Parts: sequence; C-alpha cells; structure tokens
Amino acid sequence: MIKKVLIANRGEIAVRVIRSCREMGILSVAVYSDADRRALHVRYADEAYHIGPSPSRESYLNGDKIIEVALKAGADAIHPGYGFLSENADFARKCAEAGITFIGPDPQAINQMGDKITARQTMIAAGVPVVPGTQQKVSDMETVRKIVDEIGLPVIIKASAGGGGKGMRLVRKPEELISAVKMAQSEALSAFGDDTVYMEKYVESPHHIEFQILADRHGNTVHLFERECSIQRRHQKVVEETPSPFLTPELRDEMGKAAVAAAKAVNYVGAGTIEFLVDANHNFYFLEMNTRLQVEHPITERVTGIDLVKEQIRIASGLPISFKQDEIAQHGHAIECRILAEDPFNNFMPSPGLIRHISEPNGLGVRTDGYAYEGYEIPIYYDPMISKLITWGRDRTEAINRMKRALFEYKITGVKTSIRFLERIMDNHDFRMGNYNTHFIPEHLDELMDIQPRGSKIFEDMAIIAAYFDFITKMEKVAMSDFTVTHSDNWKTYGLKRSLLPY
Amino acid sequence: MGLEVRIGDRIAEVKLVRRDENIAVFEVDGVEYEVDIAQVENGVFSIIHNGKSFNIEIIPGDGPKNYYVNTFYNSHEVEIIDAQSRYQRSRKALDDHAADKIISTPMPGRVVKIPVSEGETVSKGTTVIVISAMKMESEYKSPVDGIVKKIFVAEGDNINANQPLVEIE
Repeated sequence: MIKKVLIANRGEIAVRVIRSCREMGILSVAVYSDADRRALHVRYADEAYHIGPSPSRESYLNGDKIIEVALKAGADAIHPGYGFLSENADFARKCAEAGITFIGPDPQAINQMGDKITARQTMIAAGVPVVPGTQQKVSDMETVRKIVDEIGLPVIIKASAGGGGKGMRLVRKPEELISAVKMAQSEALSAFGDDTVYMEKYVESPHHIEFQILADRHGNTVHLFERECSIQRRHQKVVEETPSPFLTPELRDEMGKAAVAAAKAVNYVGAGTIEFLVDANHNFYFLEMNTRLQVEHPITERVTGIDLVKEQIRIASGLPISFKQDEIAQHGHAIECRILAEDPFNNFMPSPGLIRHISEPNGLGVRTDGYAYEGYEIPIYYDPMISKLITWGRDRTEAINRMKRALFEYKITGVKTSIRFLERIMDNHDFRMGNYNTHFIPEHLDELMDIQPRGSKIFEDMAIIAAYFDFITKMEKVAMSDFTVTHSDNWKTYGLKRSLLPY
Repeated sequence: MGLEVRIGDRIAEVKLVRRDENIAVFEVDGVEYEVDIAQVENGVFSIIHNGKSFNIEIIPGDGPKNYYVNTFYNSHEVEIIDAQSRYQRSRKALDDHAADKIISTPMPGRVVKIPVSEGETVSKGTTVIVISAMKMESEYKSPVDGIVKKIFVAEGDNINANQPLVEIE
C-alpha cells in the first residue's frame, strides 16, 4: 500500500487530494513555486518543497525536478491532479523508471488516447460509435472533397495534437472548405508544432456528456454514470450536473456500456473520463478520453458516495476497486459551479489579486473545494479558478435552489468573480427546465448579462448605514485620542492619524 | 455629522439623528430608520429594523473612506464623500479620460492577435488586441470612436502588466 504521496499540482485540486490522503493515513508532500509559498496546499500538507520559479514551465511542469523531490522526500507515489503533468506519458514513464508509482494510467494508454486519430481508430475497432469522418490525417485536397461528399456538410476540421478549440474550423459551405483546411493546418503547426488535421461531421446542437470510469489491475472496469457538461463558454465548462436532464435510463445504460468498452480497449487502469457528444436525436458519439481526474469529479462523488481519489490510490496500490457496478446508483442530483476570478461583465477578463474577505457557504448539501483564504493573493501565473461549489438535492429543483442559496451566501471581496453570472444561469428558465445544449451560453448571453438589482431598496440603505456608522465611529476614536496624552513619537502618531482624518 | 455616501451610481445623504447605546436613528435621503445596530465581529454589523434582521459585512477598501459592503443579495462598493474625496474624484475623472485611449492590461501575458493596424479607423467596441493571460484569451476593445495611432507590440510578444499596447486617437 502507498504510504506517502507527492502531489504534483497546486490550488484546489492539491488540497482536495491531500484531504483523501489524510483520511487514509497516507502522508502528503506538497511542491510549490515562488508564487505559491503562501498557498493553502503548502500549509495543509505534511511536507512541502520548493521546486522553482513562478511560471509553470519552470516549476509544476518540471517533471525531472518533481521526481527528484519525490525521491528526496521518500514518496512512493505521485498524484498529478489535473492539468500540468497529468496527461504526460513521458512523465508517467519517468516515474516508473525512478521506482515511483504514477497515480494514473500506463504511459501507453495516455499516448493512445492523447492522439485523437489513434483514439478514433481504437474506438472504431472496439465498436464505440464515433462521429462520421476521417480515420487518417487529411492532406491532399482531392481526399478532402471525397470525404465531404461521403459525410456531408457541415464538417469540423480539428488538429490531431490539439485541444481547447485551437486549430479548429467549422465549414458550412463547399467553397470555404479548402481555405479552412489550410488555415487549420497552419494554426495547428504554430500551436502544436504538428500540422496533422482530421475531419469530422459537425454535430448540430450537441450535448457534451461524459462518463466517469474506474479500472483496476484485476480486470474490473466500472462506470460511475454521467456528467452533463453542456454549459460551456468557449469550450470551457462553467456548470456541470448529474444526472443529465437529457438522458433516458436506456440511453444512460447504453452509453455506460460504451464507456466501459472504450476504457477496456486501451487496457485502461485508474480513473478516467469518456467524453461523448449527444445530438438532439439521442445519437451519441465518442469525443475523447481524459486520462486523469476531472475538475468536475465531485458531482459524481456526491451522487454515488464514492471518493474517487481514494479509489485512484487503492488502484495504484494494486488493490481492486472497492465496489461492484451493481452496487452503485445515482442518489439525488448534484450540480457544480466553477467560481473563477474573472469579470463576466467585462468580457470575462481574468481578475487576479488580493482576496480581502471571503465567506464560504455552508449547510446541508453544500461542498466547496477551494484554496483561497482572506489575505491570499491569487497569482497571475496559473488558471483563475478560486473554487468549485457543489450542491446536492433530492431532486434537480432542490439542487438548483440550494445552489442559488449557496451562491448568495458566497462572498468574495477584492477580486471580481463569476458568482453573479452563475446566479443568472440558475435563474434562467431554459436551464431550470433542463432544456439546454452546448449553445446555451452564447444563445442566452444578453439575458445572462442583464443584472437586475435584487432585494428591496432597504438592503441598500442598510449597507449605507453600516458603512457610515463604521466611518463615524472611526472618526470619533481619532477625535478622542487627541485628548489623551501620548508617550509615543508625535510624528508617528500624526502620520497614523493623517491616513484616517478626512481633511 | 451629515455626509454623502456613494453606493454604486447612487449618492445618498446620510446622518445620525440620535443614538442611545446600540439603538440609533439614521436618516438616509430623508427616510428615518430606527435601528438596533451592533458590531458583532470584526467587519460584520448586525442591524435589526422593525424586526427585520440584516447581516452586513463591511470590508475596508483602498482608502479609509472606501468600503466593500455585502448584504445578503448584493455586494456594493461604498465611498464616504467629503470635500477632499470630491476633489480627488474630479481629478481622477480627468486622468481616466486621458488614460483611456492607451490600452493596457492589468496582468502580464502574451499578445495573441492584433486585428487592427496603425492608421485604421475603429469604432467604440472594436476589438483592437487579444491577450492570453491566466490560461484565458481576452479581447480588449476600443473605448472610443477613433483612429489607431500607434501599436506598441507585435503578435506573439510577451507583455508586462500596465504596459502600453495600443493607442487610439
């Protein structure tokens, strides 16, 4: 059994992994960059080691340095979290060579799923439905035209090495085809150093629905149902929920089986996620596999009661999964909102900076996975996520109403956050009806941006009274101190008071 | 002591009419409120008015006269206005007006795209530069109708915080 885990990550996910380690009696080792000396994961872990300057390339992406620290600290395993080195096959291989357990799949499975063309071919061979399109890279324009004749427009052109929407082009008209392929190739070359592109039928009004899977080294592969992730902005997930309001029990069952088949096809071991596109007619297609823990994993944990990090550690220790497929079910409904340091009403501009005050929501069915605290400065070097807010309810309506309540309770001052934008989503009629797909945010943007004053005017007047009362109380104190004899340096006293005096 | 208090776009006149321990009467824009006000913890006031309970968090802002105030529903920026801050506000408005036309970012990042060129006419709201920072791409728009006078950076450049990027005339 693993005894000491180094967490090769930062922020909320590092804290979240350490929590499970604590419960399992496993020692935790944090690593940090210059910018993260004061970060919560450093304070929360049993041990902490500095690994380099603030830019992630010189710290959290420096695999050799991290392995060196793991050896020095005597850690027998490394948990990569998500992002950074989590889907880096080379790093997984180096861990194995150093005699350290990488808590994740084998390097060969990462590679097979990391390259989209290879992944597609593997899925077709395993009988998992994929979006109609090419299996090989497209280069000559003759082939391009032939494929489009077969599958029909619209098509989407994607970079094989890509991700996050880079090198992607949507083609609706035949005359746009050739230039779109050329542009996608040049974008792919500059972004990923590889101009390989492939082509797929574009699925109109799709849902983005993913299945959580777990697989051990004893031949067990199970799924933990779906997560509906269609509320996205520029391919970034904003709100996730489970169960999906769009799936039927039959479709859920069918997709769960396909997800298990997909994982088995690459001899997958560990926790992973199979992403599907589902069209309006309930046809589903394999999109990609994420060979790591996902940001949105807590909603699955909430409805199934399974701690996914603990399962990851058990599996990496060579133990079997702690439950069987027929022993788990979805209890109630869970929603996650990502709380980001950004200004939704100013073009979603990132808003790093000092947290002056934070009060987190609490109570039945509320979980926050965060890492920020009062006086903490959100660094400019990493992603803007402050925390994830997860609520649970017996049914979807209760989960949504609880999320609204929790968002109201959540107060973060000093940086701009996405909280009010998320409140607008929870209030949206189509969202509440469960009637949405990946176009939800662009289609409802005006409505989501329309911030009405809430609460009656009396709340505003009370805010004015509190600020005014605080100010005059402060003034009184300054005035009082003028009559007391001070023994301290008069200049210093004057300087201190000057900053408080109105004139 | 009567003062003006700015909350968002609203400027309210406030004064303390009388006070006896924690029972106080305030007047806000001519409306009298008799309240029971207590500072329950550092930065948190509990106010009870006609049996209604208000929990108000107040967080110091950049100066002794600035606050962030949280009520249950809203977060407000609040400023106590006296003669000095009124003067500073008018100065700042003038500075802002001039500074607005040079576009810069509050954080370091990388220039992804500059969809305009020098000499080009742009209208208010036209995207003039796209910056990648904190793993996100942000579009910066022209604040005014005008002409792109100077572009200080090129696509792919790494930039510092508050570095001039594009000037609009």
